[in-house]
Amino acid sequence: MGEAEKTFLSGLHEKLVEEKVIDESQLEPGFAKQIQKYGGKDVMTCLQCGNCTGVCPISLKIDYKTRSIIKFCQFGLKKYTLATRWVCATCYRCYEHCPADINPAEVMIALRHIAIREGVIPPFIKVAATNLVRYGQTVKPDQEIEKIRTELGLGEVPTKAPEYSRVLREISVLVHASKYDSLVGIEEEVKL
Amino acid sequence: MPSPAPHERESEDVTPSESPGESKQPRIGVFICHCGSNIAGVVDCGKVRDEAEKLPGVVVAKENKYTCSDLGQEEIVKAIRENGVNGVVVAACSPRMHEPTFRNCLVEAGLNPYLLHMVNLREQCSWVHSQEKDAATQKAVDLVRMGVSKAAKLEPLEARQVPVEQATLVIGGGVTGIQAALDLAQMGFKVYLVESSPSIGGRMAQLDKTFPTGDCAICILAPKMVELARHPNIELLAYSEIEEVKGYIGNYEVKVRRKARYVVEDKCVGCGLCAEACPVKVDNVFDMGFGKRKAIYVPFPQAVPLKYTIDKENCLFFKTGKCKLCVKACANEAIDHKMEDELVELKIGTIIVATGFDIYVPMKKGVYKYWEYENVITALELERLLNASGPTGGHLVRPSDGKIPKRVAFIQCVGSRNKKIGNNYCSRVCCMYAIKNSQIIKEHEPETAIAVYYNDIRAFGKGFEELYHRVREDYGVEFIRGRPAKLTLDPEKQSITIRAEETLLNKITEREFDLVVLSTGLLPSDGSKNIGKLLGIQTSPDGFFMEAHPKLRPVDTAVDGIFVAGCAQGPKDIPDSVAQAKAAASSCAGIMAGKKVEIEPLTVTIDEELCVGCGLCEDMCPYGAPELYDREEGGTKARIVEALCHGCGTCAASCPQKAITARQFTDDQVFSELVSALARGSCRNGDQKGPVPDGPAEEEVS
Repeated sequence: MGEAEKTFLSGLHEKLVEEKVIDESQLEPGFAKQIQKYGGKDVMTCLQCGNCTGVCPISLKIDYKTRSIIKFCQFGLKKYTLATRWVCATCYRCYEHCPADINPAEVMIALRHIAIREGVIPPFIKVAATNLVRYGQTVKPDQEIEKIRTELGLGEVPTKAPEYSRVLREISVLVHASKYDSLVGIEEEVKL
Repeated sequence: MPSPAPHERESEDVTPSESPGESKQPRIGVFICHCGSNIAGVVDCGKVRDEAEKLPGVVVAKENKYTCSDLGQEEIVKAIRENGVNGVVVAACSPRMHEPTFRNCLVEAGLNPYLLHMVNLREQCSWVHSQEKDAATQKAVDLVRMGVSKAAKLEPLEARQVPVEQATLVIGGGVTGIQAALDLAQMGFKVYLVESSPSIGGRMAQLDKTFPTGDCAICILAPKMVELARHPNIELLAYSEIEEVKGYIGNYEVKVRRKARYVVEDKCVGCGLCAEACPVKVDNVFDMGFGKRKAIYVPFPQAVPLKYTIDKENCLFFKTGKCKLCVKACANEAIDHKMEDELVELKIGTIIVATGFDIYVPMKKGVYKYWEYENVITALELERLLNASGPTGGHLVRPSDGKIPKRVAFIQCVGSRNKKIGNNYCSRVCCMYAIKNSQIIKEHEPETAIAVYYNDIRAFGKGFEELYHRVREDYGVEFIRGRPAKLTLDPEKQSITIRAEETLLNKITEREFDLVVLSTGLLPSDGSKNIGKLLGIQTSPDGFFMEAHPKLRPVDTAVDGIFVAGCAQGPKDIPDSVAQAKAAASSCAGIMAGKKVEIEPLTVTIDEELCVGCGLCEDMCPYGAPELYDREEGGTKARIVEALCHGCGTCAASCPQKAITARQFTDDQVFSELVSALARGSCRNGDQKGPVPDGPAEEEVS
């Protein structure tokens, strides 16, 4: 677990710049439109009631306020949103409770799309993407996992099966065709 | 300008013939309105005018910044007179807005008012196509071309006058219905007030005090209820339902079902001996389920009429066939278990719908645990707990153990402003009643800690903001901006912990309370669906009855002679409800004082020669206007009861024989419009050879 925690929580340095006054120069016009383009379609509907923060399982553990991230989006404070940590588990509890029927998780996903294109990529994404190309799954198979699988009666991960290399190739083709490899910087991993 | 000698002079001088049916040489006047920038900001009105001028039959085409202004109207009158116009097209706003205005212009110029055709360039063109100016202009040209071809085929019609019954039916006996009935009665009109429950008073009778002044609700309502019961012009039909409504403005026929009380109203003196004798105890509905009442009951001590009613579902006699203790107790022999429902027929001129509202009931599996935690109650339940004549005599205690709560939370916007459950609207009263109730609690128990969980505080009325300030400054009520996410129960203390983000602090908070009050929103009353169906009046998307115009006709409905007031039209507080009641009453009085009312002649006619008496029209008509009859010379035919016809055209469209014609929407007129609409296609397709037709109107009209 120590490994996973390190991967998921420490990667992105929080570079929140504490400004005393937020002026026009810090706002990104059309930021909400950009978010809508990447799937966060109802971002402007939010009335800031805070219900999402209250039900978010993450927000009880670390300083992560769904409502306030949505406010940054509405306001156009792009650099603040880029500094948020990628901890949303897309459990959709916020969506379930939102009285305005918004899906905040979609906004979080849209923010990741934008961040990646801005070159703000947490290291664990690169690790996961590399794993995906190498092993066909985002988590590297290791003995510990194999042990748990055996205990659960799931058998080994079929890396030795003949179809396995074909599957890996297909993944590589998809990763390359969608330009995902160049976006996250794993071109050298993709062998076609 | 010397007063015109309208009709005759026009026909002598210019118009060759105006009698209907005969072919006339169309002389059309087209008047295009800019509506300030509403239309002209999008549509190139100059171009539309130029195109209109070229259309066949058009003798004059003008544009005006505001056609509805005095100047614009004068221009129409002048143009009609000078050019011998016999058909007018006004291309402006919706006919619902200004059709009467421009019809008057035609009358003033000596034309039949029904020779007007309105083309809607605002709602149906400029407002909806504001991003596509060129296309909007092209569409405007098309619409005007269609309008001109229809105007050429319009025929003069005569409006009819019918007498108005001097009586109003008020549906609903809450504060709105009571006020409307009193106002009309004082003006000298007969009023029938129909209320479905055993007593009038409505929701206001349940409240403790009213915001922002703190008047006791029943203390200010009860005198009105008594006055109403005593007024010679008012007939109170309590415990009654509307069964059927037929007819039209000035001449409604209404059937009312007087439900059996099993107590003869004339004999009951309201002494209450029967209730003392009654052995059955049930939850008191008026007290929102707190406390008990008997199976024979009056809902509350100030009830009007003060007549007892047997609750048939719970009465032992109706359940087992035995008991009748109440009969023995009653000295006046008022109780009659054999009583049956009675149907009363009323002749009515105008109707006021004041069906009020129902309270939103929190969801069974909801986050706020209304159905699971005893100490989570709704605001109306709190009103009863605070009320001096309520189940606790006005002492606020919490339901679980009867102890005085030391910490009280209000949760706002429960069932309002919530897209998930489809109630997008603000209920308008919850902020203020929560603030008012927190003040009352503080007055009862000054040491109580009160927190209000809110999204926005809407304290917009007279004296509201001042009350909001008072509870914060003088009473120390805490306001937390955030919607609670989770309520957890401490089973031992029966206290409830609320988790919510205090959005202004940007922190998640957890606070413990002894009592949680849900500020539940307002819904259209349950019975209003049926009333709406019976009356043929529409509802807005929120389910409340729709007014004819949101600003200028706030209490009118789309059906003439039927008005809506109070919370039936949308959530509102008591002053607004009373104001609407007065508005509706004066609107009714305006119609009835005229004794007669004009009925639009836009109805249908049946050609008896073509009619085969199949009766399809009778089945299709939503208003019951067509009827089949046997002719003396034999054969069954359909005829139209014109007074019932709304001119909707459903029968005309469905008649397999094409025997039915809708006036001003004849096949000839509609098809000429269609042909004109399609004419543009050939203009646009550049590959078409030959002269570009300006519209087929050319051959159609001449």
